[in-house]
Amino acid sequence: MRENIIQIKEGIKLHLIKTNKFKTNLLSVFITTPLNRDAVTKNALIPAILRRGTANMKSQDEISKKLEEMYGAEFDCGIEKTGDNQVIKFYLESLNDEFLPQKEELLKTSINILLEIVLNPLIENNAFKEEYLETEKAHLKQLIQGKIDNRDLYALEKCTEKMYEGKLYSLYKYGYEEDLEEITSSDMYEHYKNIINTAKIDIFISGEYDPNEIEETVKGNENILKIVDRIPNNIVNSEATEEKKEIKEPVKIEEKMDVTQGKLVLGTNIKNMKKDERFIASVYNTILGDSANSKLFQNVREKAHLAYTTRSTYVRPKNDIYIRSGIEIQNYDKALSIIYKQLEDMKNGEFTDDDIKNAKQYITSAINSVEEEQDTEITYYLGQELAGTNCSLEEYKHNIEKVTREQIQDVAKRVQINTIYFLRN
Amino acid sequence: MQIIENTKVKEKLFIEKLDNGLTVMIIPKKNTIKKYAIWGTHYGSVMSEFIVPGETDTTKVPDGVAHFLEHKMFEQPNGTNSLDTLTALGVNANAYTTNDHTAYLFECTDNFDEAFAELADYIQHPYFTDENVEKEKGIIGQEIMMYDDAPEWSVYMNAIKAMYSKNPVRIDIAGTVESISHIDKDILYKCYNTFYNLSNMVLVLCGDFEPEQELDKVKEKLLDVKVNGKIKRIYEEEPEGIATKKIEKQMEVSIPLFMIGYKVKKEEENVVKQHIAIEILLNIIAGKSSKLYKKLYEEGLVQSPLDLDFEFAENYSHVLIGGQSNNPEKVLEYLNKEIEEIEEIKQNGLQNEDFERIKKKIYGNYIREYNEVSDISRMFLADYIKGINSFDYLEDFKQVTKEYAEQSLKEIFNENKQVISIVKPK
Repeated sequence: MRENIIQIKEGIKLHLIKTNKFKTNLLSVFITTPLNRDAVTKNALIPAILRRGTANMKSQDEISKKLEEMYGAEFDCGIEKTGDNQVIKFYLESLNDEFLPQKEELLKTSINILLEIVLNPLIENNAFKEEYLETEKAHLKQLIQGKIDNRDLYALEKCTEKMYEGKLYSLYKYGYEEDLEEITSSDMYEHYKNIINTAKIDIFISGEYDPNEIEETVKGNENILKIVDRIPNNIVNSEATEEKKEIKEPVKIEEKMDVTQGKLVLGTNIKNMKKDERFIASVYNTILGDSANSKLFQNVREKAHLAYTTRSTYVRPKNDIYIRSGIEIQNYDKALSIIYKQLEDMKNGEFTDDDIKNAKQYITSAINSVEEEQDTEITYYLGQELAGTNCSLEEYKHNIEKVTREQIQDVAKRVQINTIYFLRN
Repeated sequence: MQIIENTKVKEKLFIEKLDNGLTVMIIPKKNTIKKYAIWGTHYGSVMSEFIVPGETDTTKVPDGVAHFLEHKMFEQPNGTNSLDTLTALGVNANAYTTNDHTAYLFECTDNFDEAFAELADYIQHPYFTDENVEKEKGIIGQEIMMYDDAPEWSVYMNAIKAMYSKNPVRIDIAGTVESISHIDKDILYKCYNTFYNLSNMVLVLCGDFEPEQELDKVKEKLLDVKVNGKIKRIYEEEPEGIATKKIEKQMEVSIPLFMIGYKVKKEEENVVKQHIAIEILLNIIAGKSSKLYKKLYEEGLVQSPLDLDFEFAENYSHVLIGGQSNNPEKVLEYLNKEIEEIEEIKQNGLQNEDFERIKKKIYGNYIREYNEVSDISRMFLADYIKGINSFDYLEDFKQVTKEYAEQSLKEIFNENKQVISIVKPK
C-alpha cells in the first residue's frame, strides 16, 4: 500500500502518496460537509471567494503571477457532490524539483501557497472583501444558469433531482440563484470560519519527496497550526447509511428544449444493498452498459444503430445506476424497449461467462491504471476515505475477482427503474 | 534505432523508418504499468482531393470519408468487431479523426502483445461491405447531430468558417448527413489503399519497453507491402485575408459563447519557435495574470480564464481566444485596446518581467506534457504528422527572444486578420 495516512489533528488527515512516475507533484485539500439546503450555496461560494486573494497575496493576479513564477504551477478548485456530502476541492500541481532548471524547493513553496489560499484568506473588517464577493456571486449565478449548456449533464441532473425529490441528494452542487442576493460578506466569513473549524479536512500530497520532511512542513505550517480539532460531521458513504428506497412505478418525465438530438436518462436504484455488494454492482453495471462489450452498447448502438453514445454509470455512494443515450426523438419507444430488454435479460441471467470475465478484466484494468494518474489516485483514496473503507487496490481487485454469476443475477433482480427522463424538441 | 535524448525532461525517443515505410517511435518509460500504442495515418478530414500515387487524374471524394473509415476499420470478415476483441482483453481501445490525421489506439496494463496483434491486424485488413457501410451511416448521423447540439463545437466551427473561405478545414470532420450518404465501399477502399499504406503511417509506443526488442516484435506483425509513392494532396488556394469578420448563431445557451480568431501566416521553417512565441504572447495579452483578464473578470465580463490556442497543420494556422461572456463585443473591444497598448509599450519593448515569468510558466507546461503515457504518445504522433519532433519545443525554447516575440506580436495580432464567432442565447 502506497498511501500513508497521518492524523495531524482530530478530523484532519494528511495522506501521503509516494510515487516516482510523474514530472509533477500534486497537492489537494478536500473539505467535506453534509449537504444542507441552507448552506449549499454558501459552500459553493467558498472556493470562489478564496481564490480571489489571501492575506499575503491580495488579488487573483498576484496569485497568478506567483504561480507563473513557480514554473506555471496550476491551481484549481471546485465543488463536488459525493453521496449526501458536498466536497470543496482545491488542487495545486507543480513541477517536481528534479525537473527544475535550477535548484529550488518548489514542493514546500507549493504546500505553503495552497494552505495559504485555503486557510488564510483576505479579510477586511471581519468580512471577505465586498467587491470580490459580489463578483463571485454574479459568477456563481451564471454558473447555475449555465446548467442547461451541457445537455447530457443537464438531463442527468434533472433525472437525479426527480429521483430524490425532497431529499438531500436532490440538491444542486452549485446551489441556488435565489439564495445569492442575501449573502453578505460578513455572513460569508462567519460561514467560512464555521466550515473550516468543523468540517472534515483531507490533505493529499502525491509525488516524489521525503515523507518525513513533508509531514513536518505540513504540521509546522502556520495556517495549519491555527485551526482546531473537530469531530467530522460528514455522512459516511457506506451501504449502511443508505436511505430506504420505496418501490413504485417508474415516473416518466419529458422536457422540451431546442435540441436536434434527444437525451434519454433512466435512473435506477439498487435496493437492499449489503456490505461489499458494491463490487457486485460494479460488475453488473459493466456488463450492462459500461464498456464497448456491454449489452447496451451492443444492442442500442451496434445492432439497432439508435445511438452514438449509450452507457450506464454506477453511482457508488447512492447505489444508483443511470442509463444514458443520445437518440433521435422518434426512436424514444424503440430505445426504451431495447433498454428494458437488457435489464430483463440481466435479471434472467442471460449473460455469458465471457461477459463476466470481460467485465472483471475491464474493472481490474481500470484499477491497475489508478496509480498512473495522480488525480485519479487521489480521487480513489478520497473515495475510500469518505466511504469509511480502506480498501487497497489489491483488495479491490480481489473483491471483484470473487464476484459470482449468482450474485450478479441477485443484484440484477434488485435493480428498479425509478425515473425515466427525456429531453426532446 | 536512432536515439534522441532530452536532458531537460529526462526522456529518450527511439525512432526508425522501416523498409516497408512505417515510422516507429518508442518512448520508454520505466516505473509505469500502463502501456500505450497509437497508430496514425497522415489522413485527415481536410484531404478529400488528391492524386493517388501512380495515377494522373485527381480523385475527389465526399466530405467525411476519413472519419467514416475510422468507424469502419474495426469490422472483421468473420463478423467480429476488433473493438469488442480489444475490450475483452481488458484494454481500453479507441480511435479518432482530426483535420490532418486519423489514429487508432489502445492503452492497457496487461495483454499488450495480444492487443497489439489485434491492432496491427485490423489496421492492415479492411473489410467493407455494402451492408456494413449502410449501417454505419445511422450511427455517424447521430454523432453529427450530437455535435450540432454542442454550442462549443458550433462556436469553434464558425470561427474557422469566418477565417477561411476555401480551405477544407471549414468542413466538419464527420462531414454532413448529406455528404456521407454518398459514401460507399469502393470509395472507402480507394481511400484506404491510398492513405493506409505503411509509408503514410506512424506508430508510437510509450510505456515500460525495451525499444529494440519491441521493434522486432512490431516488425513480425507487419504485412509485406509495397511502398507507395508520394500522395499529392490538393487544396483549393486560400486567400490571405479572412472570409468574414463575424458569424453569429443562436442556440439554447445560458451565456453567449465567443471565439476570436486570427488567421496566421505560418513560418514554415520555424513553426516550433513561432508556436512558443505565440504561447508566450497569448499569456502576456490574455492569460491569468494579464491586465486584460483582470479587467474582464472584475467587470463581470468573463468568469473563467480565456482559452488560448494556436492551431496549425500543413495548409492553415490560426490563433484562437475563446470563452463565455454576456458581452462578447465588449471583450473584443478590450482585447483590441489591450493589444494596441502593448504595441505602444513595444516602442520600449515588452515588459521584461512579464516575458521572463511567462517563459517560466510555458517551460513548466512543456515538462508537464510528459506525465502520462497517453499524452506523450499522442503528442509525438500529432507533432510527427506536422513534421515536428516534440522535443523541439524544449530545445527551441531558448531561441525565443523578447525581440522575436515582439516581431510576432506585430505580425499576428492584426485586426485585419481577426474574426469573431458568437453563439447567443435564443
